[in-house]
Amino acid sequence: MSDFPAWTQDEINAFAARYGLANLTPDHLARMRELADRVSAAGRAIPRMPSKGDEPASTFRVPLA
Amino acid sequence: MTAVTPVTSADPLVYLTVSEASRLIAARKLSPVELVEAYLARIDAIDDVVHSYITVLADRARAAARIAEAEVLAGRWKGPLHGIPFAVKDNYHVKGVKTTGGSRLMLDYVADETSTAIEKLEAAGAILLGKLNTWEYGTGTGEIYHDLPFPLARNPWNPARHTGGSSTGAGVAVAAGTAMFALGSDTGGSVRLPAAATGVYGMKATYGLMSRAGCLPNCWSLDVVGPLTWTAEDNATVAQVMAGYDPRDPQSADVPSYDLMAGFDMGLKGLTIGVVRDLGADAPSMDPDIVTKLAETEVLLSELGATVVEIALPAPLSKYRSVTGTINWAESLSIHEQDFMERSHLMGKALKDKMTSGFTVRAVDYVAATRYRRQLAVTTDAVIRTVDAVLAPCTFITAPTFEDQERLVKFTFGSATSIFNVTGHPAISIPTGFDRDGMPTSAQIVGRYFDEATTYRVARALEKAAGTRGLRPAL
Repeated sequence: MSDFPAWTQDEINAFAARYGLANLTPDHLARMRELADRVSAAGRAIPRMPSKGDEPASTFRVPLA
Repeated sequence: MTAVTPVTSADPLVYLTVSEASRLIAARKLSPVELVEAYLARIDAIDDVVHSYITVLADRARAAARIAEAEVLAGRWKGPLHGIPFAVKDNYHVKGVKTTGGSRLMLDYVADETSTAIEKLEAAGAILLGKLNTWEYGTGTGEIYHDLPFPLARNPWNPARHTGGSSTGAGVAVAAGTAMFALGSDTGGSVRLPAAATGVYGMKATYGLMSRAGCLPNCWSLDVVGPLTWTAEDNATVAQVMAGYDPRDPQSADVPSYDLMAGFDMGLKGLTIGVVRDLGADAPSMDPDIVTKLAETEVLLSELGATVVEIALPAPLSKYRSVTGTINWAESLSIHEQDFMERSHLMGKALKDKMTSGFTVRAVDYVAATRYRRQLAVTTDAVIRTVDAVLAPCTFITAPTFEDQERLVKFTFGSATSIFNVTGHPAISIPTGFDRDGMPTSAQIVGRYFDEATTYRVARALEKAAGTRGLRPAL
C-alpha cells in the first residue's frame, strides 16, 4: 500500500466539522491530527487478503441469533 | 532472586480459597453470614488503601448470606459456589444497582437488567459483594492521567505499583482478600493483565463460551468476560458456572456444555506443550526476571512429564496488534458515538483518544482488519492444534510504578495477551513467582478452542509443583 500524505490541521478541522464535531477545542483538534496519522499508518499496516473471496471474521448470518 | 516474605494481619477467612470455603460451608463448619461479614470488615479495613471497589453492596450481600445460610442449614446446599462472596468489574449490570463503567458519563445510571454471568453465579448461590474499579469503559493505554471519577486502584503487593487494567479492581480484590473471586472483562488482556500484576489467575475463555449479555460493551468482536481467582481450581469452578450458550449474547457459542475440569488432577504425563519463545524481531524486550521465570516454568513442565516443543506463531506480535487497534477504535466509536459528539468533555483522556482515533478510521481498513484477523485465527489455530496446550509470555515486565509512564504503556501494550483476543483461543494468566522487587511474575497457558480443561490441567500441575500460592500481600 502506498503511503498517504499526513493530515494537515486544516483538513482535520474541516473533516471534524463536516461530520458534526463543530465545537472541539483547538487542543482536541490538534490531538485529532496526531491520532489521525497514527490511525492511517495502522490501517496501511494491515495486510490485504490475496483472495477476494475471503470473508471477514464476523459475517451476517440468518437465522438471526 | 530475592524471595519475598510478606506478612498480613487479615482475618484468615478472607484468605480461604473458594474450594476451602466451599468444603467448610457444605460441612456446616462455616456460615456464609460469617464469611460475608469477614469480607465486609476487610473492605472497611483496607479498601481506602487499595481502592478495589466503586460500590459496596453490603446490605444486599448480608441479605443473600442469610438466605444462603438458611438453605445450607436446611440441607439445600447448591454446590461449590453456595455462600461464596464475589465482586464484579463495574461494567456488569445488576438490576436496580448503579453501573458506572468507571465513567463520568454514567455516574447516575441505574441498570434495569442483570448480566447473565451474575444471574448464573447467584443462581449457584454465590454472593455479590459489590462493583469493582475499572478504567473508563475498559479503555486505556496503561498511562495514568488521574482524570477518572474514582480513586486509582492500587496494587496490594506495593500500593505505589500499577494494578494492570482495565479490570483494575478485580486482581486487587482477589489478591488483597476483598473478594473471594472476581469477574473482569478482556478485550486485549483486561482480565489477564490485572491477574499478572497482582499474582492471581485470570481466564479469557474461548470467544463466545461465556455470555457478555448485560455487560457494557467495549469492542464487540474482541470482548470476553472472565474470572480472576487465587487458584486454578477456583478459576475452573467459577468458569464452569459461567460457561454456556446464551441467546441474549449474539456472539454466544451454541455448543454442548462440557466439563472444564476434565482431567484436572491428571498431571502432565502424555501431554505435549508448545512453547512460544519468539514473538518477532520487533517485539518489546522482556525484563530478565520474566525471562528467567518463563525458562523455569518450561523446565518444570518437562520435570512434570510433559513433552515440551518450541512452536512458532504464524505472525509476529506486531501483526496481531495491527488489527486490534483498528477494530477497537472503530467498534468503540460506534458504541459511544453519541456521547463523543455531545459530551466528550466528560470523557477521560484515554477514552477520548480512542474515540478521536475512531473518528478517522476508514471503513476499508476496518474490514481489512477483520479479514486479516480471520486469517491470523486460522493459521494460529493450525499451530495450536499441533500440541495439547501452549506456554506463552503474558506481560514482559512486572507491574511498574504509577510514575513510570513508559513502562505503564509497556505493561499493557508490550504484552502477548492480545494475540488470543484476535484468535479467540482460551488463555489463562498464571502466576509464576516474584521478581527481585517482590512483584508477581506471570505466563499464559493457551489451549485449543473449547479446551479450557487442558489449560486448567496445566495450570493446576504447575501450581502444585511451583508452590506459588503460599504468599499473600502484606496488608
